[in-house]
Order: sequence, then C-alpha cells, then structure tokens
Amino acid sequence: MLGAALAVAVVLLVALPFLREPAPDSDRLGELADADRRRLDAEEARDRALDALRELEADHRAGRVSDADYRTVIGAVRRDAAEALRTLDGMEAGTRANGTKTA
Amino acid sequence: MPDLGRAALILTLGLCVYAVVAGGAAAMLGRRRLALSARNALYAAFGSTLVASLVLWAAFLRDDFSFAYVAGHSSRDLPFAYKLSAFWGGQEGSLLLWLLVLTAYAAIAVWLARRKARDLVVWVTPVLGGIAAAFTWLLVGVSSPFETIAAPADGSGLNPSLQNPYMVIHPVFLYLGYVGLAVPFAFAMGSLLSGRTDERWIVATRRWTIVAWTALGVGQLLGAHWAYEEVGWGGYYAWDPVENAALMPWLAATAYLHSVMIQEKRGMLRVWNVTLVGLAFCLSLFGTFLTRSGIVSSIHSFTQSSIGPWFLAFVVVAVVFTVAMIWLRLPQLRTKAKLESLVSREASFLYNNLLLVALCLTILWGTAWPILSEAVRGESVVVGRPYYDFFLRVFGLPLLLLMGIGPLIAWRRASLRGLARVFVWPAGIALAAGSLLIALGAGSSIPGLVAYTFATFVLATIALEFVRGTSARRALTGEAVPTAFGRLVGRNRRRYGGYVVHAAIVLLAIGIAGSSAYDSVVESPSPLARGESLAIGDYTLTYRELREREGANATEIRAVLDVRRGGDDLGTLEAGKNAYSVEQQVSNEVGIRSDLLTGEDLFVIAERVYENGTVQFRVFVKPLVNLIWLAGLVFVLGSLITLWPDAREERRLATRYARTPETADRTAT
Amino acid sequence: MARTTSPARLVIALSVAAVLAVFLVYTSIRGGGTPSVSPSELSSRTGEVSLAGRVVGTPAGDPHGAGLRFTLEDIEGTQRGRVLVVYKGSVPDLFRTGRDLVVTGTRRPDGTFVTTPGSMITKCPSKYQSVEPPAA
Repeated sequence: MLGAALAVAVVLLVALPFLREPAPDSDRLGELADADRRRLDAEEARDRALDALRELEADHRAGRVSDADYRTVIGAVRRDAAEALRTLDGMEAGTRANGTKTA
Repeated sequence: MPDLGRAALILTLGLCVYAVVAGGAAAMLGRRRLALSARNALYAAFGSTLVASLVLWAAFLRDDFSFAYVAGHSSRDLPFAYKLSAFWGGQEGSLLLWLLVLTAYAAIAVWLARRKARDLVVWVTPVLGGIAAAFTWLLVGVSSPFETIAAPADGSGLNPSLQNPYMVIHPVFLYLGYVGLAVPFAFAMGSLLSGRTDERWIVATRRWTIVAWTALGVGQLLGAHWAYEEVGWGGYYAWDPVENAALMPWLAATAYLHSVMIQEKRGMLRVWNVTLVGLAFCLSLFGTFLTRSGIVSSIHSFTQSSIGPWFLAFVVVAVVFTVAMIWLRLPQLRTKAKLESLVSREASFLYNNLLLVALCLTILWGTAWPILSEAVRGESVVVGRPYYDFFLRVFGLPLLLLMGIGPLIAWRRASLRGLARVFVWPAGIALAAGSLLIALGAGSSIPGLVAYTFATFVLATIALEFVRGTSARRALTGEAVPTAFGRLVGRNRRRYGGYVVHAAIVLLAIGIAGSSAYDSVVESPSPLARGESLAIGDYTLTYRELREREGANATEIRAVLDVRRGGDDLGTLEAGKNAYSVEQQVSNEVGIRSDLLTGEDLFVIAERVYENGTVQFRVFVKPLVNLIWLAGLVFVLGSLITLWPDAREERRLATRYARTPETADRTAT
Repeated sequence: MARTTSPARLVIALSVAAVLAVFLVYTSIRGGGTPSVSPSELSSRTGEVSLAGRVVGTPAGDPHGAGLRFTLEDIEGTQRGRVLVVYKGSVPDLFRTGRDLVVTGTRRPDGTFVTTPGSMITKCPSKYQSVEPPAA
C-alpha cells in the first residue's frame, strides 16, 4: 500500500516538468556557445591576473616579498594583467560590433 | 514491512537508471524539460532511499527479528543508541548508508547548482545517477538488507567492539567523506563531458571537497581513537587494509585541494586536477570494495561475499571512464602557463603533490600487494608495519617541512636571498628547539627528533604569518590588536583558515612522533597479586583489588590500581574485561589516565585475569598522544574558517558567471 | 626573459624516478612482505612466515608463562594440515576454539611453530555477515 503510494509520488515528481509545460515555447537547453566559452576563459584569466597583482602588492607591503623579488616579478605580473584586459576588451568590442550589425 | 523497503529500493534503482538515460539524452540533445525530469529523478531517489532507510531503522527499534539483518545485528537488550547504529553494523546496512548519503548529496548538489551552472548540471546528473545506480543494484540484486527469516525469539546482538559512542559516529563521518568525493568527481566529469575548459566545476565544488575531506579526516581520527580506547592493544593505527582504505583517498584529496589552488591562481595543472579528483574518488570506491568484499585478510574482514566481483567491476568502470574522458579532452585542457622556477609557490605545491601521491601509492601497493601476490603467484604475503613506517617517514617528514615553506614563497619566482630573509627566524627557532630537545634526550629517535624540529619550524612560520599580517593591517588602519587580528582572518579566510589547518596537522605530527618514537612499555614477568606494584617511567602502579559488576548487557570485571608519581597520589585506574552474554564474547576494557599538562597517557591493559585473582598487566606511557585528538578539534576549526562564506567573493564569482546563456535563457523570450 | 622550456616535466620525471628508486631499494633489502601460509604449506618452509589457520581442540598453557599451546588447522582447501603452535604474548579477546587467526613465527625442526611474541591477530568472526541467529 505504502509502496504503491511511494511509486505514484515518484512517477509524478519525474513527470512534473512535462505536466507543468505540456506545450512550451522552447524546450531548448541553453548551451554555451564557443564565443561565450572563450569569454569565460578570458574573464577567468583577467581575474587571475588582477588577483596576482593585488596579492603581490599586499605581500610586498607586508614584508613577505623582498624588494628585489618584487622588482623581478612585478613586470611579468603587470604584463599578464594588461594582456588579459586587452583580450577581454577585444572580445567585448567584437560582440558590440556584432550587435550593431544585427540591430 | 520488508516489502516496503524492497519496493523503495527497486524504485530508487529505476529512478537512478532513468537519471542516467534520460539525463544523458537531455544533455546530448539539449532538451530542457527532460533535463529537469532527470534532476527530479535524483530528488525522488533520495526520497525513496530515505523511505527504505526508515523502514530498516524502524525494524531495529521495534525488535522486528523477521528481518534477517536485524536478527543478525541486534538484540532485545541492546541499548537504544546502538539499535540505531546497528543499521551500519553489517555489510547490507553499510551499503544502504552509502546510498542514503550519496542520494542526499546528489540531490543537494544538483539543487544548489541548478540556477548557477545549468549546462554543467545537465551532465552531472547522469554521472551521479550512474554511481547511485551501481550501489542500488548491489542492494537490490546482490546484498539486500530486507531478507526475511522465521523470526527468532532474540537476535544475535551487536558485536561488542561496536558498542561504544565512537563506533556510532565513526562510520557516519567516514561515509560523509567517502561519498562526498563523488560530488567534485561528478562535476569534473560533467565539465569534461560538456566540453568546458573553465574552472566553473572547481568553484562549484570547492566547499563540497573541503567538507568531504574534513569529514573523512575526522572519521579517521574517530576510528583511531576507537582503536586506542576500545580495541586496546596500545596503539591507534595498525596500517590495516581497512584503515588504509580511508587514508588513501584522504591523501589524494589533500593533494587535490592544493593543486586546485594552483589552477585558480595560475591557470595551470588542469589535466592533473581532473586526474587527482578521479584518483580520489576511485580510491574511495576501491576502499569501500576492500572493506566490503573481504578480499584482504584483516581484523575487520567481512567474510568473502558475492559483492566482491561486482564492486571490482564498478571500480574498473569508474577508472576506465575517467581515463577515457581525460584522454578525450586532453587537447582542450592544455594551457600556456608554465612553471617558471623550481623555487616558487607553484613548485612547492607541486612537490607537495608529488610527496602526497607517492605516499598514497606506496600505501596502495602495500595494501594491494598481498591480493595481487595471491592472484598471480598463488602465494599470499603479509606487509608489515616496518614498510609503512619507512615510507611514512621518507615522504611525511619532507611534507611536514614543506607546510612551513610553501605558504611563504612568492608565486612565479622567489630568490634564495628573499627566502633566507623570510625563513631566518623560524629556522633559527627550530634549530634552537632541536638542540634543546637533544639535550632533553629526544636524540634517542632520529625521526622523532626531525619531526619535532620540523614541527617547530612550521609552527614558527604560522605564528609569524599571523603576527606579520596583523601588524601590516594595523599599520594601515590603526586598529587595536584583537580587531586587526579578527579582520585579518575575516578578510582572508582561506589563507588563515589554511594556516589553522596546517597547525592542526603539525599538532598531529607531534602527537604521533611523541607517542610512537618516545613511548615506553612494561610488562611484569609474572602476574601481579593484590598489593604488588609495577613501575614505569615516573609512575608506580599498585594493584589493589578486583571488582565485578553486572552491566546493561555484560558482566564487567575490573582490576583497580592506585597510581602514584613521585610522591603524589594520582588516583585510581581501572582495567579489565567485559563479558557479553548474548554475543558470547569478551572485550578488553583498558584504563587510560591522561595528563592534561603534559599530554601524555598512562595506558593499562589487563591482559589476563586468573582464577586466583592475580592479573597480568601491560602498561604503556605514551607522551603527547593527546595532541592527536586536540589536533582533530583544531582541524575542524580551521576547515570551518576556510568554509565560511565570503560575501565579496560570492558576488565576484556571480558576476563572472552571470552573463552566460544558461541563466540568460530564463530571461529570454 | 621567460624560459621557453618548463622545468616542470624534468622535476616530475626525476622525482618519480627517485621515488621508484627508494621503493625498489627498500623492498629488495627488506623484502616484499612476509609470506602467508596455511598449516599444510608449512612443512616446506623455513624462515619467518605468517601462519593463518583456525583454532581446533582445546588451547592449554599460559601465554605469559611457558607459552600458550594450541593447534591450527587449514581454514579452507582439501588438505587439512595441522600444526602445534607455541605462543607467548598478548592474546586478543576474540581468541577461542573455532576462530581464525594469523601468527608470525618460524617452524622448529620438531614440527612445532614458535611465534614472535605478541604477533597474534584474530579475524573478526562471521558476525559481520548474516549469521544464523539463535534458534527461536
């Protein structure tokens, strides 16, 4: 008895999405387009680079990183950050251009 | 009632298979409602598994011995708490507990991520469903807790070794840990299946991993404490295959926790991270296989059963699947970022990983070799303590040292001069401590001495970090010390929480070194008669009398000893045996006196009680052993700090992942 | 100037080689474990072995005195070899007739098996599996 009730409840739960929307406008599952994938990677790269810059400055101030080490590494870190920002800007400019084309 | 339980599990099986098939189809064909339906199947699977579990618990509480499992693991006079924990006292119930935790985790993980990572969740669902389906199949088709028999008058009772508070919670924590590793694994596989290359899956499962890793660590400490107090052979870890089964995934998970930080900061090691999480999960499956199939002879061995081959097949499938997915996505996972210097934080994390994985693999070899040897050469071997102790030292001591070095080296490149500046104080303190220890006699054990010295070094670096951080903050904000300290930790929870966890591991190392390298043991040449004494270290124990008492379900025999140290009376200690009537077994009940000041234990075993009232005693002094248990508490504290939600961090991540179609398709027309 | 080749691969390769070397040296010196034998396989053995068997008959003697004497029989297989074991040291609580256990030691020329003190490990009884409950 209880088993039957459980079975019914379970089947209902599984069928729920179809019962709620028998005829939906769109059944498509949003997928990540290649452009969006690249943008995500670029955003992660940007966050990483900016974080590294911030952490290096903080470590230097706190005395964890010596002046000499700071000078050695800061150039590369700043370059990474600049490059990441440039890449992201390029992507955004691209999408803006696309947007105005189709508008 | 057993029918309801059986039916509920069959429903779970159907739901999990549906989650795999429908979920997989939905992911491949991009069908939204089907994906939702598959997700609902996971929620429902938890529901029906919960029903099955409640049926079993109810049977235990009602003393329903028509359930073969209840009859085999419970009895009428079993105390209430143990009737509840008898649920996981045997193979079938343990599998059901595994499944209950797994379906609960799967439901929660998928529900939490439903809006945030839709195209990832759509692939995670079939993976979690597949793992759950495998376990449900074992419960339905091979090893069911709902077998019935003609109900006997009373059950066989619960094994006395399991009748104590530790054995009530130890398996629960272990399972929360083992099963917890399935979630990051599923997200990793989901990420590979969906073809993504970003680190979304890591961000989504960071807290899951820490929770699982902490639970697994705590579970092991609980098990060690149980072995120490209840099994009472004088130690807490025997390198038993079942103990190793929990240690191996924990080591792999520790390596994973660290290498994931490198991917976060530098975008490197993507392939390695996916491999590590796969290794951790496959080891937890393998560990369950080792424990349940009885394939390795150990004091925990479950007699060989039919689930062995199925479990092994399951592990093989998981390994093959993981390797195949990684191989498939290899080109996309490769990154440009390279290791720039062998003296950098990335490099030290890499060394940490290599050491952890090396330790993990040597333990795996030691555990699996007896099985392989028997299968291949037809002759079994026993791998003993010396093997494990050797490799624990060879890999563990450098790891201990690295814990102090890693957090302080700069990213990318660090000069040796810069390092010397940072480490001069901690190194000096460590060397001073080492010399002092030699003067105090710690030179009797070289590994012990090295462990103590390295431990001092790491503790010094951690203390220095807190001091440096607090004063840097005060220089900026002018806050009072407690405020600056609190804000420092609050703003950098992961870093300083990590330091607290490291401190816990150091305490653990000191406790282990002290109690194994510097312990002493004494056994009197002949049994002690009343009034006779035994001396060990500074202590003198005098056997006073023998007491006998009827407990709840056992006859308790205790030898009472007076303890003195120097001229002080330290009270009494009792050690003896419990004789369990229903289970027809005798258990060892040791007497432990913990010194709160020095952390050492006086540990007494009443090996044998003779008819004439004389007792054969075995006495240990274990220095610093209580640091091990204290380390457990500090460990949990550190983990809680790293887990604490950080509003700023959450906002930043939300922005990063907000502008993606998965959330956009909800707002789109 | 950023390096063009990463030292990471070299480090990993060297480390793995080092670990393997340590491992191989250790196992070749100390051996890959003590062989595990049953009583029927014991007669062909010299040196230290790990003997696994089931206790039959009545144990006698004092493990903390002259030694506990008991007989071990093969747990499984067709040959039912038996050997007399003389054991000194701690005896686990689970020890009794019918229990399976493991002891480390060597075989003496007169056929008895002399153990390393304290090396007895009993296997948990079939309690963990569904066992026949006491008759109703």
